[in-house]
Amino acid sequence: MDGGIAVAAELQRPDRYGWFQTAREVRPLIPRGAGMSFAAASFAADTVSIDFTAFDRILDFATATGVVEVEAGIRLGALFDFLAARGRYLPIQPGHPAITVGGCVAADIHGKNPARDGSFIAQVESLKLFHPDHGTVEASEDKERELFRATCGGLGLTGIIVSARLRSKPMPAATLDVTRRRVANAGEAAALLRSSSAERDLVYGWLDLARSGAKFGGGYVMLGDFSARPDRGAAKPLASSRFSSEARARLPLPLLNRWGAWAVNGAYRVKLGISGGGSSLADAQFPRGASEMFYRLFGRAGFHEYQAIVADARYPDYLAFIHEQAKRLDVVLCLGVAKPFAGTSDFLRFAGDGISVAVEVPRGGRSDAFMAELDRFIVAEGGRPNLIKDGRLPREVADATYPEIERFRAFRRAWDKGGRFRSELSLRLAL
Amino acid sequence: MRTLVFGASAGIGRALARALAAKGHDLVLVARDLRDLEAEAAHLRLTLGVGVECLVLDATMPERVAEAMARLAPEPPILNLLFAVGMTSPRDTVASAPAEAAALIDANLVSVMAAVATLLPRLREADRGNIVGIGSVAAIRGRNANVAYAAAKRGLESYFESLRHALSATGIRVQLYRLGYVDTQMSFGKKLMLPMASAEQVADRIVRGLGRDVGLAHVPAFWAGVALAVRNMPWAIFRRLEF
Repeated sequence: MDGGIAVAAELQRPDRYGWFQTAREVRPLIPRGAGMSFAAASFAADTVSIDFTAFDRILDFATATGVVEVEAGIRLGALFDFLAARGRYLPIQPGHPAITVGGCVAADIHGKNPARDGSFIAQVESLKLFHPDHGTVEASEDKERELFRATCGGLGLTGIIVSARLRSKPMPAATLDVTRRRVANAGEAAALLRSSSAERDLVYGWLDLARSGAKFGGGYVMLGDFSARPDRGAAKPLASSRFSSEARARLPLPLLNRWGAWAVNGAYRVKLGISGGGSSLADAQFPRGASEMFYRLFGRAGFHEYQAIVADARYPDYLAFIHEQAKRLDVVLCLGVAKPFAGTSDFLRFAGDGISVAVEVPRGGRSDAFMAELDRFIVAEGGRPNLIKDGRLPREVADATYPEIERFRAFRRAWDKGGRFRSELSLRLAL
Repeated sequence: MRTLVFGASAGIGRALARALAAKGHDLVLVARDLRDLEAEAAHLRLTLGVGVECLVLDATMPERVAEAMARLAPEPPILNLLFAVGMTSPRDTVASAPAEAAALIDANLVSVMAAVATLLPRLREADRGNIVGIGSVAAIRGRNANVAYAAAKRGLESYFESLRHALSATGIRVQLYRLGYVDTQMSFGKKLMLPMASAEQVADRIVRGLGRDVGLAHVPAFWAGVALAVRNMPWAIFRRLEF
């Protein structure tokens, strides 16, 4: 979706359970959800992508416990609507309603406060996974624990996630009160992100990338809490909108050049300056519209995202480094977001104690050199880049930053003996 | 009142079940594989709060279909019958084996006739309801592909004409929809000359037509023009077409 990789691959879209009986003949293969990850996780050359979006049903819902069982192809927007109508929600969700539950599991995505809530695995009670050599296997923290932990964050390489039982929580209110604090510099931002992460329902920092010098790294920290005020109407239903690499590619010229980036950051600054207060949970979970426009602005050439966790103490230096390298290599920074993280990484899990910084730059020119510089910093400082956000990340960098990557490889060798499952991402990182 | 949907596990049948459930219809879903039916039934019960029964049937066995229809409980009455059956085979040529041809004719035509014949007395007694068939543009003019399928679908059109004639003095409405290209497993990955409709669009159109004396209609509507052109195309041109 980031526009970096194009290959000729085969696509199948099964819509009946009978398909699994024929799956032994299909190889190599890789499951595909909404196809929205920035890395090429759901396809590879001469590999059959299994589009699982026809398996989109809600199978079970326990009113008492809030556990909901869904087929993995269901989109988050549809699940959100179902749960919201019953006064519940999933605390950990990514930012787009078209993303599938299977994709969330495979990428083990994080939500609005990863330091407190963890990643998607924290709300998965159990999974059903299909592998042609093993049939359909149920996995959870108690049963097939290794398989469960390797599959949550396993990038679709352990099999096809058929269904998942997810723990929803009561929605305290239909709106989030979002307040915004101005922060003068990176140090202030890091301290506020960390101190807020314990109790806030939403925490992230917006970096004002158009500023220079010591002010770079300043910006706003957004803090959200479920509203104590009475609901302003029920959560509105989400019609999931179409957002795809095709839509982005229709714009032949990237509009996010230097002036475009300046305008976007400026417009955002103005928006943050005048808005604030309550926003519906749907809008806070899925800030659509503006962001879709944003991705389209990159045009056919696409963009790079670099997201990595660095230790809190190193956060200001990292931002200074980003600023310096962007200037040196003449790369335009288009978006910068910071989030507090915590926890340890097992298998391929994007976790760790520190603050994650995500920046986006238009692809082309010296953007590759810029990304390589960030790799260098992150490896040297013991940081951790996000595999699913970066379609370029070299194997050596993943090897140096994921302590359990070798254990994941060993698990795969034992579980997927014939090497049936593969993606461009798995081939690049030799997973 | 209940509505019966044949072929409800995928494609147009699944979209029809969802559109009907959204209108509050309690459903009887029929398909080959219980796993597909149970997933869909659970989803419709949970999201739309309708009553759903599942019935596993192989449409290539009309006798079994008739028996199963006869066993359906009389209450609540089944008043709408929708047949979204469409079985095709890559081996369906002018030289296909008799068993292969028979299976296609049975699934696409004879089973529909068997189900209607078994349930018709109930509709007659209530003097209301709908019988909906799904035809295909393949029935417009026979060609060197989907041979038995096209023959069955043309037979279905004739059968629905007969039904409409037989039931013209009753409160039962008969609708046959000749579908163009629809985005289902049947068309997935094929290069087509004309645009595809989504299964949801087709289902909405069919549900809107319930209660109306439609006869035969094309969905999407522009296929009426295509049908006319293909039907009247001179043989000298038609014989050279490969599609």
